[in-house]
Amino acid sequence: MAKLVGSFAASHAPNIARSWDSLKDDTRDWLTTRYEEMGRRLKALEPDVLVIHSNDHWINFFLENMPAFLIGIGDEHDGPPEPFMKPIFDGKAMPGHPGLGRHLLEYAMGADFDPAYSHRIKIDHGIGIPLWRMGFDPLPPVVPVFINLVEKPFPTPKRCLAWGHMIRDAIEAYPEDLRVAVLGTGGLSHSIGETTMGWIDEPFDRACIDLFRNAPDTKIAAELDRMLAVTGNGGAELRSWSIAHAAAGSQGFELIDYTPMPETLIGCGLAEWKIAA
Amino acid sequence: MTDYWANKAIFDLQGPDGKDLWTNRRAEFLANYPVSDELRQAFMEDDIETLLPVVNPYLMRFFLLMLGYDDARSISVLAALQTEEERKRVHG
Repeated sequence: MAKLVGSFAASHAPNIARSWDSLKDDTRDWLTTRYEEMGRRLKALEPDVLVIHSNDHWINFFLENMPAFLIGIGDEHDGPPEPFMKPIFDGKAMPGHPGLGRHLLEYAMGADFDPAYSHRIKIDHGIGIPLWRMGFDPLPPVVPVFINLVEKPFPTPKRCLAWGHMIRDAIEAYPEDLRVAVLGTGGLSHSIGETTMGWIDEPFDRACIDLFRNAPDTKIAAELDRMLAVTGNGGAELRSWSIAHAAAGSQGFELIDYTPMPETLIGCGLAEWKIAA
Repeated sequence: MTDYWANKAIFDLQGPDGKDLWTNRRAEFLANYPVSDELRQAFMEDDIETLLPVVNPYLMRFFLLMLGYDDARSISVLAALQTEEERKRVHG
């Protein structure tokens, strides 16, 4: 049977790639050491597959169709098309895992979730940046899961926590002996294309970190509902962290590091959830 | 309120010829999108204040980048439209 061996979360700000060469040395060093540390921890777990939760940024979807959740079930996914990402991935396709992807889809349907699915999805910076900075070579197969976090209404934090628990159950019900790691990307606070753009809400970020350390799911859901209403729009991406948290059994949170990072317009954070044996 | 066609126009500008279309053939490009006269004029004049309430923020971010605004200018243009409540939220 498959086994969840790790759960992680990390920021994915576009400026990490778009502005990489012009970032201050301290910023670039911080990003390099922290993402490499996360990569070291993740590689040490020897995952066969990564299930990565992120949000689409108007690459795959438009207002004609905005799926709340979508699972990529193809045997490969198109590489990031953004101009600042193309040189990094050189237009290469990313390996998928259609067996696990299809299983997650069917398991979700059986558990009364109704995700969309895609046999050919485009990866964007949301997934590409953490993978790039962690330095995987070769890259394990990836099952991407997209959550709508750009055009309201969004799935509630409560629903995302439930999704995370379902994903854990689904992984552990997969009959093949696979070592699977979950990754949630995005956050922490940021404000994009709205009047408060550039605002990094450090109290919000630290409150979220404390919630993952100490709080039960019910409190996380309630507090995220409350806090997300009054922070910048990018804070919505904490839902990806809550999915990683729930997949880990809502315990074992360990902050790798956090810092407000104005150059990238985000509160930048990385975390691991230790999986209980 | 999200305006489908205003967002669609910006979404389509993400293509490889988007910058050229916007810079050199803006009226011709916009003719393909049935936006209101008010929004068409706002597009022609880079009137962010009029566009902001009807354009998705992430598409607005892209639109400002396409206009050539760096982060500092984007932040400045948008901050000028803050309400008093938003100013308090950000600055305490």
